[in-house]
Amino acid sequence: MKEREYPRARLDCLTREFGDEILVYDRERNVGHCLNSTAAAAWKLCDGEKSTSEVAKLLTQQLSAPVDESVVQLAIEELSKARLLVEGEKPVRRTSRREAIRAIGIAGAIALPLVTSLVAPTPARAASCLANGKPCVSNAQCCSGRCGVTSGHCGG
Amino acid sequence: MKKLDRLGWAEGIGVSAFGVHLGVRVSVAGVLPQVLPLLPPGCRKSRKATVQRLYSLLVARGGQRAGVRRMHILFADSERIARDPELDEVLAALETDLHRYVAEAAPDMTFLHAGVVGWQGRAILLPGRSLSGKTTLVREMLRLGATYYSDEFAVVDDSGKVHPFARPLGIREDSTYVQTKYTAETLGAISGVKPLPLGAVVMCKYRAGARWKPAPLSHGQGALELMANSIAVRDRPQHTLRRIHKLMRSGVFVQGTRGEACESAESILNSLSVGIRQEKE
Repeated sequence: MKEREYPRARLDCLTREFGDEILVYDRERNVGHCLNSTAAAAWKLCDGEKSTSEVAKLLTQQLSAPVDESVVQLAIEELSKARLLVEGEKPVRRTSRREAIRAIGIAGAIALPLVTSLVAPTPARAASCLANGKPCVSNAQCCSGRCGVTSGHCGG
Repeated sequence: MKKLDRLGWAEGIGVSAFGVHLGVRVSVAGVLPQVLPLLPPGCRKSRKATVQRLYSLLVARGGQRAGVRRMHILFADSERIARDPELDEVLAALETDLHRYVAEAAPDMTFLHAGVVGWQGRAILLPGRSLSGKTTLVREMLRLGATYYSDEFAVVDDSGKVHPFARPLGIREDSTYVQTKYTAETLGAISGVKPLPLGAVVMCKYRAGARWKPAPLSHGQGALELMANSIAVRDRPQHTLRRIHKLMRSGVFVQGTRGEACESAESILNSLSVGIRQEKE
């Protein structure tokens, strides 16, 4: 079997499109990611069959603006850091943001690829916390972050 | 659970809130009336024989004696969730767990941790973790004439509308994090009943002395923030994302650092009024 060389997007995540951005929910890690327009477009093209230069060409067509390969490299690096690519592929080549900015130009027509991630809360963490001295069963319930094991009260 | 069932239970009640069936039983007659105000807003009595979660409150009998601490104990199903010599503390734990469980288990609604007010027929959501100042901002907006929806949960239905969860506001009046409860009516406001479409999502942090200069937030970033404040996203991510998507068909998203609540509350309400007026024109 031919070893995959090109980046491939994970298909086991939940996705929703918000305009040209994508919200991706990683069920394995319980993390949500917001892919900006450039990162989202690059992610959609990562099928394990296309090289970064091919992705750059396709992005240039899709976004009607020149997209340098270093921008795609940066997108892949961001996606890889967020674990949105299938692991075990060819290691991601490091590209600096500065290099990508230089390639886009100061007044670039496209945004630098950006992936913002936030951990999904547990129900206890998502709700209002309890003051010290209040009965509790887990640290997550307490404003102080500490639920006493023997006392069963926030704050120890 | 069988051991608990064998204990004598003086009275109990079955209720249904947002499609979740709950039961509460107490070991001493006369305590149930203290439980009723703690039930989730909008709940109804239910005659269903089975419930999804059964709370059992063992009330300590007899007076306190030297050297003996009589404890009131609360169980959720067979798990002990609170034990305290003060009944009020155990009742507060019951209220917290009841509301959180409904938020987690409601089949047809998505609960987001956010303060909510109604303004000119639109909902303003103030998502944020504990101690981020949601209730303070909600209280200030009520003073300016907004309708109270919640200081804890935005309840989003399948069409993306926001329903009330108008429990009494829990206002922390000092640095001890202890909350004092006020109904919207005692603060001179009214509680909303009708589900509202979204008007604005405002993400704000408090910093003493800061001036409120909000910056727009993209829809994707706004959705991510709402996801990070949703109660059941780990259990039901697909439902949560779908409802957030529907909720966000309308409305604006801003973020910023606020100083005193009075300045930011007025600015947020004014911005929404202008937006609504422009939309109508």
